[in-house]
Amino acid sequence: MTAEELDIQLFTTAVKQSSGYDFSDYSEKSLRRRLAKVLMDNRMDLRMLVAEIRKNPQFAEKIVKEITVNTTELFRDPAVWQAIRYRILPQFKENKTINIWHAGCSTGQEVYSMLILLNEVGMLEKARVYGTDLNSDVLETARKGIYKYRFNIGYLDNFDKVIKENPYNYEIFYDVPYSKYFDIDKNKDLISMNKFLTEKPVFKKHDLVQENNIFPCKFDIIMCRNVIIYFNYNLQNRVFQLFYESLHPGGYLILGMHETILGPYSAFFEKKEQFYVKKTT
Amino acid sequence: MSKTEVNVYKAIIIGGSAGSFQVVTSILQALPADFPLPLLLCLHRLKHVRSGFVEALSLKSKIPVIEPYDKDVIKPGKVYLAPANYHMYIELGNRFALSTEEAVNHSRPSIDLSFIAAAHAFQHKLVGIILSGANKDGAYGLKTIAELGGLTIVQDPSQCEIPTMTETAISLFPKHHVWSVEKITNFLINLK
Ligand SMILES: C[S@@+](CC[C@H](N)C(=O)[O-])C[C@H]1O[C@@H](n2cnc3c(N)ncnc32)[C@H](O)[C@@H]1O
Repeated sequence: MTAEELDIQLFTTAVKQSSGYDFSDYSEKSLRRRLAKVLMDNRMDLRMLVAEIRKNPQFAEKIVKEITVNTTELFRDPAVWQAIRYRILPQFKENKTINIWHAGCSTGQEVYSMLILLNEVGMLEKARVYGTDLNSDVLETARKGIYKYRFNIGYLDNFDKVIKENPYNYEIFYDVPYSKYFDIDKNKDLISMNKFLTEKPVFKKHDLVQENNIFPCKFDIIMCRNVIIYFNYNLQNRVFQLFYESLHPGGYLILGMHETILGPYSAFFEKKEQFYVKKTT
Repeated sequence: MSKTEVNVYKAIIIGGSAGSFQVVTSILQALPADFPLPLLLCLHRLKHVRSGFVEALSLKSKIPVIEPYDKDVIKPGKVYLAPANYHMYIELGNRFALSTEEAVNHSRPSIDLSFIAAAHAFQHKLVGIILSGANKDGAYGLKTIAELGGLTIVQDPSQCEIPTMTETAISLFPKHHVWSVEKITNFLINLK
């Protein structure tokens, strides 16, 4: 074992013993990079960090939150959302309910993107939408649905692409005002989701490494984007199994733009464009 | 430089920003279909040209140009373009790793981060090249490649549409090779 591998192991073991979280199957180099950043931000060396983690479970929890990457956007990758709107959601239009799980939803922008789409296609009523993450702080932000406007300003373009334009018919233009879904307060630098949106989803803490489906239902759509890029092959397989078991046959697994199913679980899904559909048998 | 020395390289990585698109296209156009190494491209792009970039680069290239997926194996004879909105790293086992970590100096992909990752993965078997650009990204990364024994090349700033990036790289580490696009292209063509 190299000195660096040993460092990582010291760290993951301490975290596991103190907080219960298990990072041993995260991608090694990415974890190493995050660890370097956490050491810098906390002005500590590894020895000090590990000692403090062992002593203080709350500190361990704080470090877990810092180690994970929480970046997210409203309508990240508009082409994906256009496909969801025009290709995927219509397939569930006649169903009585549609169950959607956003795993690793971070501060919730992805969940609100979905809710806005559901409302545009008239399916919000019958939808049950769940957002989960390991990090309770990001879930708190997600529940509030209030974001820094500065960070989201570029994404009004994305909103326009997904909500106002129709990529399959350029003659159509839906003149949907932003105020239908959120308020923008430029002075306070805030963008706040409207109440009918924030009331809708259920946000719950959930750990993809160690827990199974914690909801009393199976899902028609599971979105898990830009989460498994931080996992190694073993952990990815575990997560694919969890998603496979939690989907209805014909249900969709939506990964990030540059994520794929490698390994045995690819045989259990049919790939449609960039989406994975659970095979029936 | 003798042929045997040339033979030791395992990968090429090129970073560029404003004014580099033409240069990259002309380099790709000149490279033979049986180019023997993986060529990694980390280019900044305008917010509005997020898609269509691969297609534009593919038009003139005899080598396939692809945006890698997370954990794809890095293979010779391919051009890999860092996808928009992700940082591109190299994981254990000669694989790509993508990440959505915060932009660095307003850039995602960040040239510095890709160069540093490649420098650690390929050490002295790496060639790093910095092209035209209007910011300072890449200078630190190119220095890292040089320090770990790789070959480092900067496009001659007097030839650059915008020389900020190349000039910064040179002032941070004056020992980089400073070459014209023609010389860079010939060097790459002769990697056999
Ligand atoms: C980069 S964000 C992705 C946000 C959103 N899905 C998107 O693509 O914009 C990754 C999220 O995964 C969460 N995460 C990391 N490990 C996790 C785990 N074991 N279980 C659940 N969530 C996890 C992190 O806390 C973080 O919020």
